[in-house]
Amino acid sequence: MAKAPIQLTIFAYQVGFGDCFLLRFTYPKEVRHILIDFGTTGLSVDAENDQMLKIAKDIAERCGQQLDAVVATHRHADHISGFATRADGAGSGDIIRQLKPKVVIQPWTEQLDLARDATAPTGHAGFTAALSTMHAVAENVVSFLNNRAQGLDDKLADQLRFIGEDNLSNKSAVKNLATMGDEQRYIFHGSPSGLEDLLPGVTTHVLGPPTLEQTDTIRKQRSRDPNEFWQLQLRGLQADAAADVKSKLAPAFPDHIQAKGGKLPLNARWLANRIRKARGEQFLGLVRALDKQMNNTSVILLFETARKKILFPGDAQIENWRYALDQEAIRTMLEDVDVYKVGHHGSLNATPRSMWDKFSKKGKPKDKNRMTSVLSTRTGKHGSEKSNTEVPRTTLLKELAAQTHLHSTHTLPSGSLCEEIVIPL
Amino acid sequence: MTRFNTRKMTILVQDPSVRIAGRLVFAQIDLPYEDLAPGPVGYRVRVVDFDASANALYAPFHPMPDRDGVPQDKYAYTGPDTDAKACKAWENQLLADPAFHAQNVYAIVMRTLGLFEFALGRRVAWGFEGHQLYVAPHAFLEANAFYSEEDKALMFGYFDSAKTNKRVFTCLSHDIVAHETTHALLDGVRDGFTTPSTPDQAAFHEGFADVVALLSVFSLPKAVELALTGGKPSKLENRIRLIPAAQVSTKAILNSMLLGLGKEFGASLDDEGVRADCLRRSAQIEPDPGLLQSARYEEPHERGELFAAAVLRSFVALWSSRIEAQGKFGRSDYNLDLVIDAGASAAANLLTMAIRALDYCPPIDLTFNAYLSALLTADSEVAPDDTKYGYRQRLKDSFASFGILPPEKGTDPDSGCWLPFANDAAIVYQRNHAASMLYDKEEVFRFVWENRRALGLDDRGYLRICSVRPSTRTGPDGFSLRETVCEYLQVFDIFGAEAKATLGMERPQGMPSTQRITAYGGGIIIFDQFGRIKYHIEHRLDDTARQAARLEYLWRTGQLNAQQDGRNQFSNLHRSRAMA
Repeated sequence: MAKAPIQLTIFAYQVGFGDCFLLRFTYPKEVRHILIDFGTTGLSVDAENDQMLKIAKDIAERCGQQLDAVVATHRHADHISGFATRADGAGSGDIIRQLKPKVVIQPWTEQLDLARDATAPTGHAGFTAALSTMHAVAENVVSFLNNRAQGLDDKLADQLRFIGEDNLSNKSAVKNLATMGDEQRYIFHGSPSGLEDLLPGVTTHVLGPPTLEQTDTIRKQRSRDPNEFWQLQLRGLQADAAADVKSKLAPAFPDHIQAKGGKLPLNARWLANRIRKARGEQFLGLVRALDKQMNNTSVILLFETARKKILFPGDAQIENWRYALDQEAIRTMLEDVDVYKVGHHGSLNATPRSMWDKFSKKGKPKDKNRMTSVLSTRTGKHGSEKSNTEVPRTTLLKELAAQTHLHSTHTLPSGSLCEEIVIPL
Repeated sequence: MTRFNTRKMTILVQDPSVRIAGRLVFAQIDLPYEDLAPGPVGYRVRVVDFDASANALYAPFHPMPDRDGVPQDKYAYTGPDTDAKACKAWENQLLADPAFHAQNVYAIVMRTLGLFEFALGRRVAWGFEGHQLYVAPHAFLEANAFYSEEDKALMFGYFDSAKTNKRVFTCLSHDIVAHETTHALLDGVRDGFTTPSTPDQAAFHEGFADVVALLSVFSLPKAVELALTGGKPSKLENRIRLIPAAQVSTKAILNSMLLGLGKEFGASLDDEGVRADCLRRSAQIEPDPGLLQSARYEEPHERGELFAAAVLRSFVALWSSRIEAQGKFGRSDYNLDLVIDAGASAAANLLTMAIRALDYCPPIDLTFNAYLSALLTADSEVAPDDTKYGYRQRLKDSFASFGILPPEKGTDPDSGCWLPFANDAAIVYQRNHAASMLYDKEEVFRFVWENRRALGLDDRGYLRICSVRPSTRTGPDGFSLRETVCEYLQVFDIFGAEAKATLGMERPQGMPSTQRITAYGGGIIIFDQFGRIKYHIEHRLDDTARQAARLEYLWRTGQLNAQQDGRNQFSNLHRSRAMA
């Protein structure tokens, strides 16, 4: 086989709020296919119910029934829900499984036996246990919403549900990823990617996620086991969510009750309503913290050929990026990125300002070597413009459109399954 | 009617996990006497014991009537000290009674308020419209406690500890209650400190609340005793309790804080992240001037710990110096009770200094450097002679060891204090009414506007007077120092395209020309007892370097357009600390 690819085609699939990219590296006499993520938490409004199945079949057809690699950047539903299988074997995940990828690549935190490894550092076991606990926290939040949402307005409940559901464990997808393919790779900053032999002429740099030791070099020592924090939150949520709808949680002082919920005296009502609202917003703060931690387990890959650099950072946010961006060699390497898959569906915090400012190939439409940006997102699903939390961020979209060749799935015509983006290498 | 101006209330010195010889540690504190309503509800605090997780309102605390004109302490233990069983039963009864929890939290809030009012020499308002702060001692099942400006409330959670298998109530932790109350009070003194600004300002609320919490606990002698002895009995000589000198060196005190009170400081609260180890972390952070610039201490909650560490080490240094001034017993022992008094006294003095400094802080864009100068200036006004214990020098040294130095501009290079106002000759006083200048914002605005050129104010910004507050403090000589503290703000709205032309700064890379920017200027004018300007501590609107640094930081961290969350700001911050 020739030693270097001559073209990259990115098939950016229309999964609404989610990511699904099929990368085709074209060599003179053959092609290689890498699938990076396949998930959604909200298809576009005009998508059909079997959109994900259609996408899986399209991927199968385009790669000639053989995938070279699958990369699941992290375990949020909007990145892995498509890997879920069905009992009848006809799910989207079943189709991908049948493509027999030679390697499946995930972040080190997904290594299922890590928690049981007696020789692993305590922190690692604690962290991976924390990820499991976070899923349980998310399940309890969703259960709380389904059973009773007193004190929550619709907007708050919607936000909670959206983030909570994105963090549900999706066991089927996780299990499918852990068992499909010839080889499993769990990668971290600086580790081999597992694509060395599969993509000749391409150097694949793993820029994230950092291990705990790597993180600790910039934050000194970690002071407590992260799982303890999430276990504490989980216990509270389980107690709350498991309480009977009518009886609520057992009072802390059952022998000292002056009044119950609907019969409060006048002088207590104002504050009581506000404490109820605050309680709902506490949940939201908790799931946002959980969501952020999960995003920060994301794989960050930089594909480098002789003439081009292609950056796929999953949903990594600044904490994940920090270890990489702390190193001058990596900051320099990122300056001349040619293709940037926009992080976290266009949220502001997932594109570190310091990195964006240094991209040297931003420019005007007529600039010959202007960089390309690729975004998979759906508007109106996450956050709000009023509170400057909308995803994708309007200000970021404007910058991307003004300074790069922007390809975004939220602008695909109705009925389109994907956009083909051709990058000469 | 009683002739008493104060009443005593029993509180927990720290929390229920801290014990001496197996017994809970209580203290009686003095609070302003008031005609309390059930709650308790007083003129500044309204305790409403609603539990959102259980959807229940618990019975309120009912104050005991005075007896023969003498106020009564409902929870003072009156049984025999030698009857361990009776004592234990009494303690269990208190811990199981939400009314005691309500009184405990009320008393600590009022005590903290009292510390602020003593230090500032005036009544201190909360940071919202209204006179009474709501307090919910058992607001919900959660390992968190926070101040919510939007709800005019302190909300305390409770949780079940996996470590101890017991229910833990944050409203019973003295330092947590003092910490949250400080947020509410600081918000009242400096409303602008919750606005997104500098990294130091973002950290200051949390760091300062830690400082007040720690020092207010240590100003109780029993807390100091616990820190030094861990509750163990000490050597007796002629009925005088002794402590070896080696145990009260600076290093030994820090260690005993870690191992003594620090270890027992509510173990489950520390380990399960509620308190975030503020005492232990502050004592453990080794001084290093480079820490402020490191990646780790960019986060507000981490950065605040550096500030707290600088103050804590100052406290330990001050305490040690006071101990050294005492005589020893034999060659190697000190009188333990005098050592305890010295510690409690040092904590109380330092706390007063720390709070007084707020009046000398600029109203926006606070930096730790500016706070240090405010601290030094405020103290030098009240106590010009610092030779006895060298408080100010020790503070300067401690802050310097963490890289915090007085600002280069506007301060005296030797003392680090703010420079006095030097342009008094150009100020016109005669067009104002002196009496109104002590309290009336309109009067003071007229004065500031008339003298805007002499004060060097940039009149492009919209100027308003935020507050005019009296301050009366008593110095060591027994005489009063009377000042009037005026806080003003300037607001200036521009677009990104105008940054260069109006403020002389380049807009940050990537910022669109249409980006709306609000620039702030502001300052403090301190008037002396004769109504003359003593200090003008300002952040000029046209200070290009400061505006550029602020704008770059806010743009880089995505805070420029962020809306302030008056309910969850501190809850989220505490959660971030717990997860760290």
